[in-house]
Parts: sequence; structure tokens; C-alpha cells
Amino acid sequence: MLRSLKGLACRSLKLEQGCGLPTAAKECLSSIASQDVPTPQRPRAVFHTSESDPAKHTEQHEGRHYSIPLEEVKAVFPHGLPYRFQQQIQTFNEACVMVRRPALELFAYLRGTNLAHPAVRYVIYGERGTGKTMTLCHVVHFCSRQGWLVLHIPDAHLWVKNCRELLQSSYKKERLDQPLQASAWLKNFKTTNERFLREIKTQRKYVWGKRESTEEGRPLGEVVEQGLARVRTASDAVGVVLRELKQQSPLGTFRLLVAVDGVNALWGRTTLRKEDKSPVSPEELTLVHNLRKMVMNDWSGGAVVTTLSQTGSLFKPSSAYLPQELLGKEGFDALDPFVPILVPNYSPREFESCYGYYLERKWLQHEQARTEDGKAELQFLSGSNPRQLDRLAGPL
Amino acid sequence: MGGRSCAVMAAAAGRVFRLCRRWGAGPRAQMLRLIYTTTAVQRKNVGASGPEKYTEAFIKKQIEEFNLGKRHLANMMGEDPETFTQEDIDRAIAYLFPSGLFDEQARPMMKHPREIFPEQRKIQWGEDGRPFHFLFYTGKQSYYSLMHETYEKLLNVEKYQDQLIAQDLPLQKEKRNLAGSRWLTKIELEEMLLEKLSDDDYSRFIQLLQKLTDLPCSDIEEKYIQKFSKELPVQMQKVVIEPLQYDEQGVAFSTGEGRRKTARATAVVYDNGTGKMTVNGKDILHYFPVLQDREQLLFPFQFLGRIGKHDAVCTVSGGGRSAQAGAIRLACAKALRSFVTEKEVEFMRQAGLLTVDPRVKERKKPGQEGARRKFTWKKR
Repeated sequence: MLRSLKGLACRSLKLEQGCGLPTAAKECLSSIASQDVPTPQRPRAVFHTSESDPAKHTEQHEGRHYSIPLEEVKAVFPHGLPYRFQQQIQTFNEACVMVRRPALELFAYLRGTNLAHPAVRYVIYGERGTGKTMTLCHVVHFCSRQGWLVLHIPDAHLWVKNCRELLQSSYKKERLDQPLQASAWLKNFKTTNERFLREIKTQRKYVWGKRESTEEGRPLGEVVEQGLARVRTASDAVGVVLRELKQQSPLGTFRLLVAVDGVNALWGRTTLRKEDKSPVSPEELTLVHNLRKMVMNDWSGGAVVTTLSQTGSLFKPSSAYLPQELLGKEGFDALDPFVPILVPNYSPREFESCYGYYLERKWLQHEQARTEDGKAELQFLSGSNPRQLDRLAGPL
Repeated sequence: MGGRSCAVMAAAAGRVFRLCRRWGAGPRAQMLRLIYTTTAVQRKNVGASGPEKYTEAFIKKQIEEFNLGKRHLANMMGEDPETFTQEDIDRAIAYLFPSGLFDEQARPMMKHPREIFPEQRKIQWGEDGRPFHFLFYTGKQSYYSLMHETYEKLLNVEKYQDQLIAQDLPLQKEKRNLAGSRWLTKIELEEMLLEKLSDDDYSRFIQLLQKLTDLPCSDIEEKYIQKFSKELPVQMQKVVIEPLQYDEQGVAFSTGEGRRKTARATAVVYDNGTGKMTVNGKDILHYFPVLQDREQLLFPFQFLGRIGKHDAVCTVSGGGRSAQAGAIRLACAKALRSFVTEKEVEFMRQAGLLTVDPRVKERKKPGQEGARRKFTWKKR
């Protein structure tokens, strides 16, 4: 009976191919998933590994997919996953991430970090669509499993463009606040690091306005609440959080991971304008200013992992992917020295693995896609680029 | 034999004269045909007079002038007048009168008068008015005389055949190669006979010729038949496929060129590859971000089932995105011919992979906004 249900699902997948696939597939698959629980699952193929703890991933697991339980996904990644990957999670009802060499390299470095030394900065770079953000998410998962405090900024570009409200900062006159972005980020930060926010205490008093203030010694969670409640002070709350974490991280009670996606936004240009139509430079924004301080290597007790991103960047040509090009002189000097980590396109083995995954999840419905020739075609047309492969496999 | 009246009118050039028609009232008035006219003099009857007719004297004079002119031209060009050929004349004229006109016929030319003035029927009757040919009054004298002649040959052959049979000799059976030749077309036959034919006449003549050739002993009249047959142009030249070349490492490779619209591309396809392609030094994923272009590049390899087996290094210039993709596709397909059997080459040709796409941008016409688009039509 289960098989007939599955067959039904496959046929309905075929029928609705190309129109609103995720929602339809989700219904069918969720119906299957609910039925799946009683019967034991068939052993998954070669390109899967059941090792769901990133800490235990080694070269042996390279090229294989491991799945993250959905509750963990909600807890660890309230923001930060690429949009298409989120859709894929909804479709397949599971979050499968491929283990790739750059991530394994980073794990090795992170395991060997000396917490007494200043934080080492790692810059993940690569061409468009090769999997930099996914590598960063893998690292974030690893660190959260290990118990680090993760400061994950999903996309720094969101802070330098498309901002509707710019308030003049009450703290410093020249700076500009972004209440909406700050409050959104604070909300997600709260979800990821609940228990830390109870443990870490503020080290000095912060005055938010005439009647609000946070005393010394209060848990950091209160600062976050304050920022969420009074949206006008959200940016300052973010600044306070960052400052506290930076000051307290060398003490050794926790290890701090600063994960910034699209770090080249901090030193580029913005598309924002003040009321007198003059352009805003990044250091005039409170959030950017504070984040820049965070990314400096003048604190110890953790690591800084960043990603360069051309996709959301402003005023940069689409063929630029090297750190020098995307960061500019200012950014390069600020981040120097850093450890560069290149993320290449899929190797043949990784390609096979991804292809096999899609096949197993019945994502490739076209008969020809299942043949060897089809696979060769997909490889040629996508150039082994993960994003292209994903986009190609979509309509098939 | 009445009087003949003729009026001589000289045109500016002084080399034209005509006989005018005299509307004689009496029976003795003789109708004399108009020989030729000048446009300057007789403007009202230009349409009705038909094609111009030239006299022998006129043609002779033209030939003399041509030869004189040829010698002058040779002197001008500093060449020997005795050995000045028609090609030399053409080259000299093209040099002295350069023309940018597209139509070859419209450019200045200097050719022998026989080529310029079409062959025309000379007057078919003598001074006394009696026609020379016995079939003149049929109206189609050349045609009927031709039919008579051919039939005579036919009878000849049949007689010869009977003789051979009487002598019990075997009939010769050398078959003429009809596959490589064709009969004259109706237009060519008209040119040969210098008179108009109808379709029916033409088909009857061809049938007669066919009957003649079908006879076993028609070899004796071979020369006569050959006057009416033409060699077909040589069969489509077999395209030579270049053999594979080998580079230093011993890897086989082959080159091909392709074009599409204004784009020109060359491709070098190597064997033992992994399916990587480079265009102008960049990876295809960077050079062709659009999927459609990459699909075009994929097509030759996919058709032959050799997707991951060859590497290619291409250079391309000109045209736009799609044109460059099409040009590279053609270049790759041509290069792949060397790696593949003849049958597959034929398949490729039938799939259209080896044909140059003749579509180019159509010219904009005056009075229209574009090549086809007309200006907005306003009722008033």
C-alpha cells in the first residue's frame, strides 16, 4: 500500500511538474513521510552518510550528503540559509548538506585554534554559485554543535541596501540607525543563542533613553529584549551586544564564532541616501561600524569566518570573485592578514553525488535525465557549478 | 517591281538610316520592312517596333571599331596590342572605370560585338521578294527544317540497321551515357534556332531525339545528337574530410571553422578529453551565461554521443551572443568530422549540423521603417 502511495506521489509529481512544484510535492511527500515512520527506511545510497555531527566528518565523508534534523535547522539557522536551499528543504522535507573539502579544511583549522591568540580570520571566496554560503552554514552548524556562541550575520549586503528607514543615531550624531534590520537580526540572534544570553552578563550600565537603562550585571538577554521592544534603539542594542561579546570572549567562558556572509559589503558603497540626497558611506551606518570592529582581530577566544559574495554586491562586475577585487583596498587592508579558502566547482565525484541525490529524491523526472547521456549533458551544461546544476535540475 | 522609295534620315551620329514604310495606295506599292530605328527619331513607335534589328554592315563596323579600340586600349595600358586577350581587356576596363555597382551586367564592359548584339535573323528573302528557305511560309522554318533533318537521320539509322540485319551482323550496343547529359532546354533551343517555339513543338522535338537515341545503331549519328545534348555539371563535389593531426603529446586533434551572421569561429577539438571547452581563453560558463548558447555548443557532441570525450579550444569574433554560439557549433561539428565514420558524417549533415546558416540581417528598404515593417498607416 505504501508503494502504491509512493507511486501516486511520483505520478502527481510528474503531473505538476513545472508549476508550483514545491507546495504540491510538499503535500505528497509529507503524506508519505507520515506514513514512513512505522516502516524502516531503505538504506540510502553511497552518497549519503548517516553521520549528522559535523565534528565527525572527515575526508572519508567527502562528497556525501548528511542531513540535519529539521528542529535543529530551525534553531541554528533561523536566517542564513540561501533561499533556494530553504525551498529545497521544504520540498524534500529534509535538509541535506554536502560535505566538501573547504569545509573540512575549516574544521581542521577551527579545531586547532588557540584561544589565547587573537582571532584568526578566514575568508571563503570563489566564483558565483560554487557553495560559499553553504560552506559557511556547514561551519556554523559545526560550531553550534561544539557549543560555540555563533554570531551569524546572514548577508551584510542587506544592511547596505534597500533600507527604508534611516534614523539619526542618538548615540553619535553623524551615524545613521537602521531599526528594522537591527531588530530582525536581534530576533534571529535570540533564537540561535538562547542559553548564552542568560549566562552572559553585562559589564557596565547602558542608558537607552530618559527612562530606560540596563544595569551592570544583567543578562545580555535583557539588552536584546530592550532592542526588540524599543525598535528605535535596536541598532544601539546590536552595538552593545557586539561590544560585550568582544570584551568577554577572551575570558574563556565561551568561544565566539563571528560568521559574516558577504563581508565585502562592509567596505564597499551603499545605495542609501540621506534626506539631502547625498550618498551614505558604510561607516556612517551604526550596524556596519560595529560589525567592522567585530571583524578586527584585536580580540581572542574565537574565530572569524567570512564569505565574499558578488551576487548581492553593489557596483562590482559580475566576473569579480577574488578578495582583492571584491573587498577593495580598504577592506583588504582591514581584513589583512586572513586565511583565504577557495571553494571550487563540483569535482566529478561531488557532481555524481549531487546528481545521485536528486535522482534518489525523484527530483529529476525526465526519463532522459536518468540516463548516462543525460548526466553528461547536465555536467556539460552546468559546468559542474552547483547553482547552475540546481537551476537546471529544477524544471526537469 | 515598282519604285522603291526610301527616305534617308541621318541622326546625330551619322550612322543610322532607315527605310520608311510607304503607304502606297496602288497595287504596285511594295511593302518594305522597317529594318531598324533610332530612338531619337521615332519616339512614338518605340513600343510597337519590337527588338532592334542590326544590319550586317552595322555589325561589321562595330567589329572594326572594337578591334581599333582594343589596340588603343593596349597602347594605353602599355601592353602589346597583338597579344591583348579578352581577359586583359576586362582587367583594363575594370582598372580604368572602377565601379561599385553590385550587378555585373551594369558595370562598364567592352566585349566583342557578337557577344553584345544578340544574333538575329537576317532577312529571309531576296531582292525579288522570294524567300530563300522552302519552308518559309510555314512560319517556323527553322523548327520544321530541324524536324525534317532529324527524321532523315532516323531513317538513315533504320536503313543502316536493316543492312546490318540483312548481313546478319550483330547490332552495336554501346549505350550512351545518358545519366551525365541532358537535352537542350526550350530556351536554349530557341536561341539556337533564332525563332520562338511552343511547348508542344519542343516536346515533339525532344521525343524525336529520344527515339533516335533509343535505336541500337544510333552511334553513327552521334555527332548530330551531341549538338543537342549538354553535359550535366559534375556531381556535388565530395567534401574532403581532413585527416586527424597529432600534437606533441600524441593526442589527436582536428580544426574546424564556422560562421553565422557576422561571427567567425575556429575550433580545435582534442581527443581523450573531459568535455571542457574554452572560448577565447574563458570557460564556457563565463563566456556564455545563457543556457541556450551552451545548449547550442552541446548539440554536436550530444548528437554523436561524445559529450565527455573531447576537449575543445575555440576562438570567436564578431556577431552577437547567439551568432557566436552558432558559429562555434558549426566549427565544432566540422572538426568532429575527422573523428567519426562517414555514415555519421552523413547523419550530421542531415541533421543540419554541417550547413552554414544562410540567414543574415535583411536590408532596410526605402519607404519602410525596417526590412519588413512599414510606416504606420494613417487613414488621412
